[in-house]
Amino acid sequence: MIRLALVAAIVLAACGPNAVFRLSSDENNAYALNEALGKRRLPAQPTPVSAAGPRAYVLAAGSISSQAKTIVAFDLASQQVVWKTDADVQSRIAVGGDFIVEIEGGQIVARDQSRGAPRWKVQLDGAFVGLAADRERAYVVTKDGSDYRLTGYSGGDGNQLWQSAAAGQLGAPAAHGGVVYVPFLSQWLSIVDGASGEQLTRVRGIDEQISTLRVTSTVAYYGSTKGVFRLDERSASGKRSDATYGKVEIPPQLERTTYSRDAYDVVQQAYTAADRARVLWSSDPSTSGPMKLTGDGYAIHYFRYVLGFDLAGELRWAYSNPRVELVASDHTGSVIVAIAANGDVVALDPQTGGVRSKGSLGIGAQVLGATFDADGWSPSSPGEKIETAAALVSIARDRDSRFERVKELAVDALAKLPGAEVTAELLKILEDDRAKVQLKDTVAELLVKRRDPAGLPVLVEQLAVHDNVIAKTETQALGPIAKAIGGLAGTGLKKDGIATALTALDSHLEAPSTATADLVHVVAAMASLGADADGADKPALISHLLLYHADDDRGGDAAWQKAIIGGLLVKATSASREALRYVAADPRTIASLATAINETIGAD
Amino acid sequence: MFKASVVAIVVAIAVPSVAAAQAAKKAPAKKGTANRPSTADIAALNGQQVEAAAKAAETIGESSAPAAHDVLLDALAMGLPASVAVPAIVGLAKHPAPPDVLALVRYANHINPSVRNAAITALAQYPDPAAHTVVVERLGDQVAVVRATAAAAAAKGKIKKAVDPLFVLLSRGEEPAARALAAMADVELAARIADQLGKVPAESLALCLGAILVRPDFGPDTARVEVVRAIGKIEDRSAVTALQDYLANSPKTPVRTSRTEAQMIVDARLGGGAK
Repeated sequence: MIRLALVAAIVLAACGPNAVFRLSSDENNAYALNEALGKRRLPAQPTPVSAAGPRAYVLAAGSISSQAKTIVAFDLASQQVVWKTDADVQSRIAVGGDFIVEIEGGQIVARDQSRGAPRWKVQLDGAFVGLAADRERAYVVTKDGSDYRLTGYSGGDGNQLWQSAAAGQLGAPAAHGGVVYVPFLSQWLSIVDGASGEQLTRVRGIDEQISTLRVTSTVAYYGSTKGVFRLDERSASGKRSDATYGKVEIPPQLERTTYSRDAYDVVQQAYTAADRARVLWSSDPSTSGPMKLTGDGYAIHYFRYVLGFDLAGELRWAYSNPRVELVASDHTGSVIVAIAANGDVVALDPQTGGVRSKGSLGIGAQVLGATFDADGWSPSSPGEKIETAAALVSIARDRDSRFERVKELAVDALAKLPGAEVTAELLKILEDDRAKVQLKDTVAELLVKRRDPAGLPVLVEQLAVHDNVIAKTETQALGPIAKAIGGLAGTGLKKDGIATALTALDSHLEAPSTATADLVHVVAAMASLGADADGADKPALISHLLLYHADDDRGGDAAWQKAIIGGLLVKATSASREALRYVAADPRTIASLATAINETIGAD
Repeated sequence: MFKASVVAIVVAIAVPSVAAAQAAKKAPAKKGTANRPSTADIAALNGQQVEAAAKAAETIGESSAPAAHDVLLDALAMGLPASVAVPAIVGLAKHPAPPDVLALVRYANHINPSVRNAAITALAQYPDPAAHTVVVERLGDQVAVVRATAAAAAAKGKIKKAVDPLFVLLSRGEEPAARALAAMADVELAARIADQLGKVPAESLALCLGAILVRPDFGPDTARVEVVRAIGKIEDRSAVTALQDYLANSPKTPVRTSRTEAQMIVDARLGGGAK
């Protein structure tokens, strides 16, 4: 069998490949595109390529002694390992109708899906660029120097069916329903007949490069790092504005996220860390306007986390995988399926993030990557309700220092959720000795922006902690908390709540260990809340001013001066103004303070 | 005019009843008018020259006249530089009156440790629970010298609420806490201190128990015997030092069992080659 395939390859090579991918060719031809799309034999509903049902073909690291890797076929529906076999796999695994195909040691190797045994092997005829499969065939792009070729092989026996040459760089292919998609020179998406190797038509990207491909059982997407087109009749325009084009908001904190792997990056044709930062989506057909995302949302798999967003880019839900990273993920149209480095398999509801299915390979080896053949798979479980706040807290408090920016995103999203318990969780981050300063700064800013009056009791409770050697307690994040409390002025706080907050703030105003940097926020908060309260004479601030107006240390501190003067002038009463004038006139007053008061009152 | 209103404000933030506090503040003025402070001293106290103000505070503080007391109280209410506040506080406390507590509490939380020390020391002699509360709070001060001052103040004021915090400080080997507990100890407290063997540093425990022994007012001798025996259980050399101090600083006659036992322990430790 192998010998036959080799002979066929030699004969074909001698004849020379058919020059299919040319610089000049018909393109963006609506008629031809419709014909090409109609040639596809696609299922009516999303369904796995293989009749074997929804599966994950997982590549796991081998043992230290054997070095070999292991392919594990995992049935997602039954959550059972179907088979596993050692193989030195050097590419992604592509899934055909009854075979899988990958690269091993310079050979294209097809394996039987039922047992994992090799079905056929063909020597690569050049450097590997990428491979794909549909139900019947395998397609491989190779290059020899600057000569690129796309070759079609029979999935049944490895027989080389055709070979098409390119006048320039080809990217890794994708295929479904008897049609192969191949990016060409970053500008075109060539649509090739899988049976003959002839180009059916091609689409030229007029205002966007074509460097990525994602193909499901029913839809093909192409695009770049900027966005994706859904391949349909409107693709003939070549323009974003006239095609079914989609672009989602990728938070800057998830900067490594892409829509799909780069077809021109050979490294990404194996399983890499790039697979751990993906936009996950499905779309519905549309005849006008931009691409219509199913459920009006999308998700982003980012290493350990999967985050669901609405069309505006607002976080809907968050999933934090316990302990280890998710190394591969896919959107089946019904669920988001992902596999973790430890072999745990999870399926999430794209709308809610609820866990619809959980399982494990149970192989005890590190998972390197996986290919899912699970289009349309929908576990019967309605899904466990996901606690987004808890997931966000888990992300924010993750000890992994690689994800500081993700933590910022998490706290940003967390801060948008209402409730005192959320405020409490944000405060815990401020108390966390191991949290990075930048994250704490972000949390502090968010606490201020949050302006959730329900959080006042939690904030005030935090102020109950003072520096005390006996109790071994230290005041935590006083400045941000005071700032957050001050920010609640004008949010309709109840009088008793204001009174409690003012008492708590006053305890820090008068505490000897309160640093000026924090004190300025305490003063500002007392001024803001005091202004909210009836009869805002601010006696505590007046007392504080008098106590330190002649003190070299505090009285001479410009930040303190600005804070106390400004605080007393917030909705200033006659008592406040009188106090300031008295202090300005007192010969004992620190000169710079008197000057500051005179300048401020003069300008007020 | 403003001064009066500010004093009222300052008082008002510290007590629920301004009227009651102001009435109390006026109380010393009814006692007499002797040794009124001079106009020059008052002017100096409220003047720009800090040294002169501090000297004036000392002078005024020496006066037993209610008016002098009022001058200091008003000056403290309006705010004084640290170097003036300290003598003003000391002077104020020489002739204590109930309203002083309000002013002293403000200064007990001052950022300057010297000012805090002066206020804490002063507060110890006021029976007002608010004064005692502040002294106890300052036992947890971040500055060691302030904790030491608070410990001494607690001992001086026999502030019972301070006992538990002092035990915490004793467990951390803070000598002022040991001395404070020793000064406050009655028979019952001495027994509680003796029970700390193994829970607090041996040296601190020996110091504390030794300081109890040398107190002439501590007794009866049966209680002293218990203290001696508690010290005898401490293996650290500081135990011998404590007992030696007791032997050196207590009368030989009439014969005390506690001295006899102390001597026996010292002889056994030193003669037997023990620590």
